[in-house]
Amino acid sequence: MSAQVPLSFEDIKVGEEFVSPGRTVTEMDVVLFAGLSGDYNVLHTDAEHMKSSQFGERIAHGLLVLSIQQGLVSRIAPELVEQPMTELAWKFRGPIKIGDTVHVVARVSDKHPADRPGWGIVTIVRRVLNQRGEVVQEGESEHLVERRLG
Amino acid sequence: MASAAASPPPRTERISYFEDVEVGEPLETPALTVTAAHVALFEGLTGGAPATDPEMVPDLLALCLSSGLGWRVPRPPLVVLAFMGFDWKFHLPIRVGDTIRSRSHTAAKRSMKEGGVVFEEREIVNHRDEVVQSGRLTLLVAKRKPA
Repeated sequence: MSAQVPLSFEDIKVGEEFVSPGRTVTEMDVVLFAGLSGDYNVLHTDAEHMKSSQFGERIAHGLLVLSIQQGLVSRIAPELVEQPMTELAWKFRGPIKIGDTVHVVARVSDKHPADRPGWGIVTIVRRVLNQRGEVVQEGESEHLVERRLG
Repeated sequence: MASAAASPPPRTERISYFEDVEVGEPLETPALTVTAAHVALFEGLTGGAPATDPEMVPDLLALCLSSGLGWRVPRPPLVVLAFMGFDWKFHLPIRVGDTIRSRSHTAAKRSMKEGGVVFEEREIVNHRDEVVQSGRLTLLVAKRKPA
């Protein structure tokens, strides 16, 4: 990966939008995430049990797709989304099934000076869409970004 | 062979339902040391750009680890039907080698037609007992089936 360009608060444009590449959520993603996080809830790990559920099959962990979302956005705007997060408000709107393909639409919705001198807060609104264009997750992150001196 | 009537019922996983959730009951998870292996697996899985400082733990990884730790509390596991959302704050960075655990309690619960909504307040603390992340999670939990 190329070196990141240092970003300052002044460079960020409110209204700028980013559309990520897509990514297919696989069974391996779900199994690896269960092992990494320790969340073995039947929703994600018991295919037979889930046949009789409202979803009809295993679904991906919401936090897995949230984390994939962060990776997808960082492929188009790494200098922006990797600024330290201070807050995250998130809604899980619908299930993501194994084989679904998600992508992210993100937009800078606000920026304002932080209480801490020399820093600003940037808000990014994000929507995760599946292959049918349905919003499956959405939310807002706030990031602490350094201001340019002088 | 022992008679069937004398054998105890098979042991199954004990579970908790919406009705079992007690508002205000404090729960604490075991602790977990965050290693470079966790960070490498997470970065590989999610495709995030590696952090400039390899000792830094990605913000979202700690939240993910706390979700797994959440199953390891003294209460039998909850029948969670869906994770609906959360509001979360990141207070302090977490570094490789830090040991985290989480403390939580149910702030409120609301009965619905199908299941019920549980609002959980959770804090992730490090080995110095500093709160590194905290917030409120909203879960849809199953109700006990009528006998």
